[in-house]
Amino acid sequence: MKKRILVCDDEEPIRLLLNESLQDSYEVVEASNGREALRLATKEQFDLIIMDIKMPDGHGLEAIERIRERNGTVPIIICSAYRAMEDDIVVKTSNVAAFITKPIDIKALKTKIFNLIGA
Amino acid sequence: MRDKLYPRVRFSAIFFCHGLERMKKRTLLLLRFVLILATILVMTYSQRGLNIASPGYVVALLYLLSNMMVYFIPETRLSYLYVTFGIFLIDVVAISLAIYFTQGMQTDFYLIYFLIIFIASVGQDIRGSIPIAIVASVLYGWLLYRANPDTSIMDPAILIRVPFLFIVALISSYWSASMRRELKSKKELEEFAHKLEQEVERITTKETELRRYSETVINSVASGVIAVNGDGTITTINPEAARVLGGKQEDFTDTKIKMIKGLDNLWQKMKEAIESDKPLERLQISITNAHSKTIPIGLSVSPLTSSDTKFTGCVAILRDLSEVKGLEEKLKHAERLSYLGKMASWIAHEIRNPLTVIDGFAQLLTNTKDKDKVSTFNAEIHKGIKRINHIIEDILTFARTKTQVKHDELNLHDLLQQITENINNVKISIKGDENPIINGEEESLKSLFLNIINNSIDAMENDPKLVINIRKTKEWIITDIVDNGKGISKDNLKNLFTPFFTTKSRGTGLGLAIVKKIVDDHNGKLEVESEEGEGTTCRVHLPKKK
Repeated sequence: MKKRILVCDDEEPIRLLLNESLQDSYEVVEASNGREALRLATKEQFDLIIMDIKMPDGHGLEAIERIRERNGTVPIIICSAYRAMEDDIVVKTSNVAAFITKPIDIKALKTKIFNLIGA
Repeated sequence: MRDKLYPRVRFSAIFFCHGLERMKKRTLLLLRFVLILATILVMTYSQRGLNIASPGYVVALLYLLSNMMVYFIPETRLSYLYVTFGIFLIDVVAISLAIYFTQGMQTDFYLIYFLIIFIASVGQDIRGSIPIAIVASVLYGWLLYRANPDTSIMDPAILIRVPFLFIVALISSYWSASMRRELKSKKELEEFAHKLEQEVERITTKETELRRYSETVINSVASGVIAVNGDGTITTINPEAARVLGGKQEDFTDTKIKMIKGLDNLWQKMKEAIESDKPLERLQISITNAHSKTIPIGLSVSPLTSSDTKFTGCVAILRDLSEVKGLEEKLKHAERLSYLGKMASWIAHEIRNPLTVIDGFAQLLTNTKDKDKVSTFNAEIHKGIKRINHIIEDILTFARTKTQVKHDELNLHDLLQQITENINNVKISIKGDENPIINGEEESLKSLFLNIINNSIDAMENDPKLVINIRKTKEWIITDIVDNGKGISKDNLKNLFTPFFTTKSRGTGLGLAIVKKIVDDHNGKLEVESEEGEGTTCRVHLPKKK
C-alpha cells in the first residue's frame, strides 16, 4: 500500500504539479485551504503533509499548530514563496520536518520525502 | 527753576510770616526780644530812669521772664489764636505798665505799639492786629490821661497817633495777608509742580514697564512675530522671526520690508491683508532669508484693528516649516521604502507561484510520454506565463507616470456595454444617460471599469445584481457602479487604494490602486460608499467632453 501525502496549497496549478510529481510513488490527497487540511488531517491518516504558507503574516501556521495538536508525529514540509520566512517559521513551529521554497526542485523534494518516510 | 522764581520774597516771607497756622517760635522769640530791648531803652531814657527795685524794673524783669515762658510753649500751641493773642496782649500791657511806672510819656514810646501791632498782624492778620490796636489805643489814652488829666480827646497826640495805630494795623495786615497768599499760592504751585512731576515719573515708569512687559511677551512667543505699519515698515519683530529671516532684531526694525531681498512673498501677503482688512490664515509660502536659504513658512496675517487710525498695518505670525517639511520628506521616503518592501514581497509571491508551476511542469515534461499529460502540462505552463505577464502589466500601469497617450472622444455608455458583454455569470444593467461623451484613453478606461466591476462581482455571493447608472452634471459624467455584495469594512475602506493591500487570497492588491491612478490621470474623482452586508457603490466622476 502506498504511503499517503496531504498537499495543501490554495493555487490549483501547484496542487496539480505536486500531485503529478508524486502520484507515481504516493497516494496524494489535495486540500485548497488550511481549514480543509485540518479537517482531512483529523479524519484520515497521513504519512506526510506538504503545506503552503502564503502570506508574510503567516497564514497556514495556525493550521500547522492545530494539526500538531491532534497528530504530534506526522512530518510536515513547509512550502513557501518567501525564503526569508524560513528561519522564523522553523523557530516558531515545532517539528517542522523541512522547508522548501518556490520554485520547487521536484527531484530534491522527492529525495527529501523519501528520506523522511521512505517509498 | 522754582527756587529762582521769587528768592527775595521767599526769604522775607519765611522770616516774617511763616504762616498764621504756625508762626515760628524762634521768630516770635526774636521779635519779642527786640520789643523788650526797645522797652528797656525807652525806660532808660524816661523821666525816672530804670532803677533797680523800682516797679518799672520789676515789670521789665517779668516781661523778660514771659519771653522765657514763651520759649517753653510747645510750638504746635502757637498756632492757636488765643495763645498768640495772649502773648501780644501781655506785650501791650507790659509796655504800657513800664511806661506808666517810669513816667516815660515824654519819649516816643508809642512807636513800640506800632511794632507790636506789626508783629501781631504778621502772626495773626487783621484778627490779631485790630484787637491789639484797640487795646493799645485804650492804654495809650489811659497813659495820657494819667500823665495829664486835662488831656482832651481832641489832643493832637490822640487825634493823630490813635488812627495811625489802626492804619498800621490795616496796612501791615493787608501786606502780611497778601504776602501769605502769595506764599501760599506759590507753595501750592510748588506742590502742584511736584505732584505733576511725580505723576509724570509714575506714568513714565508705568509706560516703560508696560512696554517692557509687552516686549517680553512678544519676545517669548515661540513663533515669529512681525508687525509692520501701513507702508510696510517693520515696527516690531521678535527674536524667532529675526532668526527665521536670518539676522538680528535690530537689523530689521524700522526697515521697509519690501526693501529686504527675498521677502517679496511675505510683503505680498501682508499687503493683501492690509488692503482687504481681512485676516489671512494658515498660508504656506516660502521666503529667502539673509543667508540666501529658501525657507518654507507657515503664515497667518492679521490687519491691525484699532479705532485709532494712527495704527495701521498688520501683524504676521510665522512658523519655520523647514523641520516639518524635512520630516514630511522623511516620512514620504519611509513610505516609499515600505511600498518597495511590500512590492518586493508581493512580486516574490505573485511571480514565484506561476514560476513554480512553469518550472515544475517543465521538469515533469522531460519524463512524460503521455500525450494528454503533455498537452495539460503545456497548457499549465502557458497559463503561468500569461499570469506573469498580467502581473507585469499591472506593475507597469501602476508605475507609469501620468498618462501621456492621446485622449479620444468616447461614449462611456457604449464603452461600458462593450466591457459587460462578455460577463455572463452576473446580471448587469446599464441605466441613465445614453450619450455621455468624455475625452479619455480607451484601454485605460476599460481597465478602470473592468477592475471595479470585477471587484463588485467578487464581492457578491447570493443573487448577484450589478447596476451601472450614468448621469450628467454641468461639468461631470458620473457613473455609479452599485452592487449588492458583502460590502467593505470601515478599516478596509481606509486602505482601499493602498497599493499591495488586498483582502483576496488571489488578489494582487494593485487593482484599485490602478483604478485610482487612471481616474487621477483623467482629472476625475473617485468615491466609494459601502455598508457591510448591504453592498458597495463606486462613483466615478469623469470630466465632460469640452
